[in-house]
Amino acid sequence: MTTIQTRPRLAPLGALTLGVALLAVATATAHHSILAKFDDTKALTLKGIVTLVDWSNPHVHVFVNVKDAKGQVLNWAVELESPIDLKQNGWSQDTMRPGDAITVQGIAARNGSRQAWARSVVGATGRPVFTVTRTAPPAPLAPRPTPKFADGQPRLGAVPGASGYWAYPSATALVEDGVTVAMDPYGQLRNVADAGKVAPMQPWALALYASRQRRFLQDDPTYINCKPPGGPRQFQQPFGVQFVEDRERQRTFELIGGGNHNYRIIYSDGRGQTGQVGGDDDNPLYYGRAVGKWEGGTFVVDTRGFNEDFWFTNGGLPHTDQLQLIERFTRTDFDTLKYEVTVNDPAAYTRQWKASWTLRWVGGEELPVYFCQDNRP
Amino acid sequence: MRTLVVALALSAVCLAGAPVGAQEGHPLKGSWIGTWAQNTVHGNDVLVVLDWNGKAVTGTINPGTDNLVVKNASLNPEGWMVHLEADAKDKAGAVITYVIDGKIENLAMHNRTITGTWKSQRGGGAFKITRQ
Repeated sequence: MTTIQTRPRLAPLGALTLGVALLAVATATAHHSILAKFDDTKALTLKGIVTLVDWSNPHVHVFVNVKDAKGQVLNWAVELESPIDLKQNGWSQDTMRPGDAITVQGIAARNGSRQAWARSVVGATGRPVFTVTRTAPPAPLAPRPTPKFADGQPRLGAVPGASGYWAYPSATALVEDGVTVAMDPYGQLRNVADAGKVAPMQPWALALYASRQRRFLQDDPTYINCKPPGGPRQFQQPFGVQFVEDRERQRTFELIGGGNHNYRIIYSDGRGQTGQVGGDDDNPLYYGRAVGKWEGGTFVVDTRGFNEDFWFTNGGLPHTDQLQLIERFTRTDFDTLKYEVTVNDPAAYTRQWKASWTLRWVGGEELPVYFCQDNRP
Repeated sequence: MRTLVVALALSAVCLAGAPVGAQEGHPLKGSWIGTWAQNTVHGNDVLVVLDWNGKAVTGTINPGTDNLVVKNASLNPEGWMVHLEADAKDKAGAVITYVIDGKIENLAMHNRTITGTWKSQRGGGAFKITRQ
């Protein structure tokens, strides 16, 4: 009844298998690359009995007793999407209980431990469970006008009495505008030989980026240590960002739904980018020091003072403490936020470069309650 | 008790999938501590502080004591080969030049190492430093 079946990838089907794998992760919403932990060339099937459902951030785990070929019962950890994604798709902690029979199709952990990423889970009824589909809210038939304050300045946040946040970025990895390279939603290149196309990197940065790619992004500090997703990465996380505009004190709070659920403050009171942290003025920060001003309908934010302790993109493009970002936020209509970023890091790149994408408004909701440090990678 | 055991097993299993450290920024930047073996002039222990300004690798060997300024430093990303030179003086005041050649190992780790050799007019030996 309880068995483990592993299926090494067949060479003639390699390209097809890779295509299927990338398709599979393209629908995932995890906070890090699935391939960082799991090997898509090691497909397996687990049939067994559920011993525990661990319903915790950042990923739900179902523990299963599985009998191996020798008849020995071994406990496997089957990793699923986050509780938020599962709940939004109608699943709960009680969907599956200890004692239930289960069949898991998935891929095995790279390190050989008894862990699997579930691509499908079927219960005793024979029906799939814990399926996740994440789609943006339906677009209105006609664009709604950009909400504004009384003085005509666009609102980046919700109108009074309402709630909402920005999510569903049209791009989930940082790539120079005008460049087309095949990669999965976590920034994993389909072909590492394309690394040099992504951005104008200095030789050391290109070599480092390629190295990170060849290691399937498993060295990502956000994955390993729940480090903040600073820089443009904060706008490419699965659980979005929320703006709270404190006009009285000329500052904008940005609450970040991904990573460790952190926040960033953008000052518009004319201060510079140093001296904002009393007694620790020169301490470089994960989100840098940001000052912003409105240019017409666009909020322009200049951020410097970053530390080097995080990856500023999902795909692992390097940066240094010389990084400066010019970000332009334009709410083109009620439901669309255009994000444009100019990357200026002369210690890592050969020239300035730009990237841009859009985010969708998720109205009537606050940021999902997601904390990567609740549990484990 | 059973709950505690399950929780510990759960944590151990899941954490097993994660690497223990992460590399960020320029691979040479930081403080490195280690040894240059058989160095009778400046001792076996060595501390190296390196930086990257976007165009050149700069740094100091044994800051605060010997203060040897790193010159002609380079990093070849093909193989992550490191070359450092620094001028010093021996106990008699004669100028000697240290030449260090090594390779970054465990690039992906925060506590990566540079392993190789050092040599000068007064000798040479193994060189190994670990990033702090």
